[in-house]
Amino acid sequence: MAFGLAAMAAALAAGGAARAADPVTLQLKWVADAQFAGYFVAKDKGFYKDAGLDVTIKPGGPDVNPEQVLAGGGADVVVDWMPSALATREKGSPVVNIAQPFKRSGLELTCRADSGVKTPADFPGHTLGVWFAGNEYPFLARMAKLKISTNGPPGVTVLKQGFNVDPLLQKQAACISTMTYNEYWQLIEAGMKPAQLVVFNYTDEGENTLEDGLYALEPKLKDPAFTDRMARFVKASMQGWDYAQAHPDEAVKIVLDNDTSGAQTEEHQKHMMDDVNKLTKGSDGALDPAAYAQTVKVLLSSGSDPVITKEPQGAWTHAVTDKAGIKAP
Amino acid sequence: MRTEALKLSRPAARPRRSGTIARALFGRAVPVLTVVLAILALWYAAAVGMNADAQRQADADAGIADAGWRDFVAGTWAQSHPRLPAPHQIAAEIGRTVFAVAPTSKRSLVYHAGVTLEATALGFALGGLVGFALSLFVVHVPSLDRGLMPWIVASQTVPIVALAPMIVVILNQISVTGLWPKAAIAAYLSFFPVAVGMAKGLRSPEPLHLDLLRTYSASRPQVLRFLRLPASLPFLFASAKVGAAASLVGTVVAEVTKSEDGGLGARLLAGSYYGQTVQIWAALAVASVCGAALVGIVSAVEAVVLRRTGAAR
Amino acid sequence: MSAAGWLGCAAVWLAAWALVELIVWRAPRRGVAGRAAAVAVPLIFGATVLLLWEAIVRGLGVPAVILPPPSAVAARLAASPGMLLADFVQTMKGLAAGYVLGCGGGFLAALAIDRVPFLQRGLLPLGTLVSALPVVGVAPIMVMWFGFDWPSKAAVVAAMTVFPMLVNCNAGLGATSALDRDLMSTYAAPYGVTLRKLRLPAALPFVFNGLKICTTLALIGAIVAEFFGTPIVGMGFRINAEVGRMNIDTVWATIAVAAVSGSLLYGLVAAVERRATFWHPSFRGRRD
Repeated sequence: MAFGLAAMAAALAAGGAARAADPVTLQLKWVADAQFAGYFVAKDKGFYKDAGLDVTIKPGGPDVNPEQVLAGGGADVVVDWMPSALATREKGSPVVNIAQPFKRSGLELTCRADSGVKTPADFPGHTLGVWFAGNEYPFLARMAKLKISTNGPPGVTVLKQGFNVDPLLQKQAACISTMTYNEYWQLIEAGMKPAQLVVFNYTDEGENTLEDGLYALEPKLKDPAFTDRMARFVKASMQGWDYAQAHPDEAVKIVLDNDTSGAQTEEHQKHMMDDVNKLTKGSDGALDPAAYAQTVKVLLSSGSDPVITKEPQGAWTHAVTDKAGIKAP
Repeated sequence: MRTEALKLSRPAARPRRSGTIARALFGRAVPVLTVVLAILALWYAAAVGMNADAQRQADADAGIADAGWRDFVAGTWAQSHPRLPAPHQIAAEIGRTVFAVAPTSKRSLVYHAGVTLEATALGFALGGLVGFALSLFVVHVPSLDRGLMPWIVASQTVPIVALAPMIVVILNQISVTGLWPKAAIAAYLSFFPVAVGMAKGLRSPEPLHLDLLRTYSASRPQVLRFLRLPASLPFLFASAKVGAAASLVGTVVAEVTKSEDGGLGARLLAGSYYGQTVQIWAALAVASVCGAALVGIVSAVEAVVLRRTGAAR
Repeated sequence: MSAAGWLGCAAVWLAAWALVELIVWRAPRRGVAGRAAAVAVPLIFGATVLLLWEAIVRGLGVPAVILPPPSAVAARLAASPGMLLADFVQTMKGLAAGYVLGCGGGFLAALAIDRVPFLQRGLLPLGTLVSALPVVGVAPIMVMWFGFDWPSKAAVVAAMTVFPMLVNCNAGLGATSALDRDLMSTYAAPYGVTLRKLRLPAALPFVFNGLKICTTLALIGAIVAEFFGTPIVGMGFRINAEVGRMNIDTVWATIAVAAVSGSLLYGLVAAVERRATFWHPSFRGRRD
């Protein structure tokens, strides 16, 4: 208590005569790492402060559901994947995409070459590791398109993989879900050779869905003051992403400083930063309606148990990016 | 034969006379060391077996046709992502993260253990108080005993760990943040053993003794003070030990969800996430040492209290 | 929620309490009526809590993705019993195997260290270390060792239950009075006989205390273990996956199944305890 008061007093003293910054709470989809470098850079480099914002960044984790935090009022804006956000919207929680810093998708299925899987046609009869908690939608859509059952032989046996690459290393699964910028490198760092791995990228298959967009609640966007705050937030965040593009090494340092667990390694975060930069390259933060349409098409095509049952209405807006002066593509 | 039968009283239950240092050493240290050495030997052997497959694969990848058995065994004890790390690997990791960095750094396990213990202590204090209060109610108010006790039990069957994220979210809404959500989950796990154990303990006096106090026309508070509470002490400490360990587990679980403040749970999550098995084991080792320390504190209090109240026979 | 609404809630609460008091005071202790009263009281309690939950969630307009009303949970329970049953069976496999292993191991370890004081002094301090292992750290390691299916969950449950059982049994074996032990030694009773005729019976209340605590620990352990890599069935999997899909009603339906099955397990152990330790003061002289 006393400590809290002291901290507040210090903060007030530091703030001094500056006008009170608008508070913004950002909930990340995952733990603090280079996947969110842009936001950490924007905070660290003072881009948010210059935009008159006081941003709190909350790391997520395996059982933190960003949409739930958003609905519960625990955050103003969250980083989320579009399939999960659209599924949530269909269930009646009014989440809206306000910006899309990630242009491309980093999701892939990575298989052991010695498992005998060479093409998607080889999947049946094998065990595949999938992330759940909202990340399973792209996989289910893809299997539906390939007309492969996910309920064990003769189709594929699905495992809910933990958030690491152990199942592949321990030969408990033929293939696992990986992100280009993260788990793939974990496999390489654990001693696998690229030649021992077969990678099926979702984008190559035309099955890509939008990842890591920024989402807010629709009713709150009716308030012009909130929209203005979000516009300043998105603009400063994109500044952060651009800075991470230009200075990847410094961005990695900033990410490592923000890792409260103290467990991230520089080697891994460097790999990650380089690959994340590939996904954000050329993005100005505004959502590309064509990419949105592609995501919806993939999700609607997912067979017997569709991720979403009907075309979503009003699931994205350019109001925020327009206000931030970002031209829609 | 007879002398052996006479020795049946447990050593721990006997008030220990202040013996010489040597006796204290031989009383505890030698047996513990023996057991520890036996476990270490088993551990090293198990590490060879657990990591053999990966080692063979690594040798094959490196083009080593036939590594000598010495190199092979040494290899199984020195992998970067072992299935079972060798004890010295864990020790080295703990050395790196406990002694080689400042205890205030985020890379220090001392710092993370501190974060965890803070919430654990708060949670255990809360849980202990709630558990004790509940046991008093349950023993003295019949309708609560019949109505509440089944629900106290049912409360523990709710996998709170599954709810931890939601609890953090909900508490966040009513602006309860920081230490409290973690402590709440720790308390939720620790109140139960205390409540159940104490309810049992408060009912453990013989009817004969209760009747005696009735003939003295003792009031309920007096019965509680002179009979029920002293009789419940052994139960209290047995359940407090379980409760202390449970609140640590609860805190660590909450930290997996609320990883922004760090803590051993956040370390475990990060270790598991990056497949850093050595790091997981190091965090586990530190967590269990913290837990053992908590249980040790309870035991120390128990020894003093039992001696002071004459409950140790 | 209006003031009238809150008043209504308070009235419902008080009425339920009064009813419970009435039953407890009036109902006979024995026979069918007594048993019915024993069941009715917690049910009234539970029904009241559910009613208030429903009223408060609706009254305050809590979003369903945070906390659904019980009616929505009940609807989900009725809608997908097949899925919930399959989950239950999967979780029970790991739970049962782990419970038997953990509790059996704890009991045998307590006997072993009681016989060999050297072991007692050597093992007990280390047992404390094992007990404090957080389940969230153990579970991923067990998945790595024993695969995704139920054996890895059984291993987690065994690791969680072995120590509480050991501590309770150990306390129980020391629960005889010096007078009783002296009596046995005047009979020149050997260790085994003393154990069988005096110390084990005296230890039973503690053993059952351990068994009861372990039922709930085992349930939590089995479910949490399913958070870290599972086949796509099981209560832990369901909770974890459906939180991510925002089907919070399914999450609570699964939690309800878990709570009911856990309570039944506990009740089963408690019933056996009543039969086995009817002589214990806590059962004998109940004048509440």
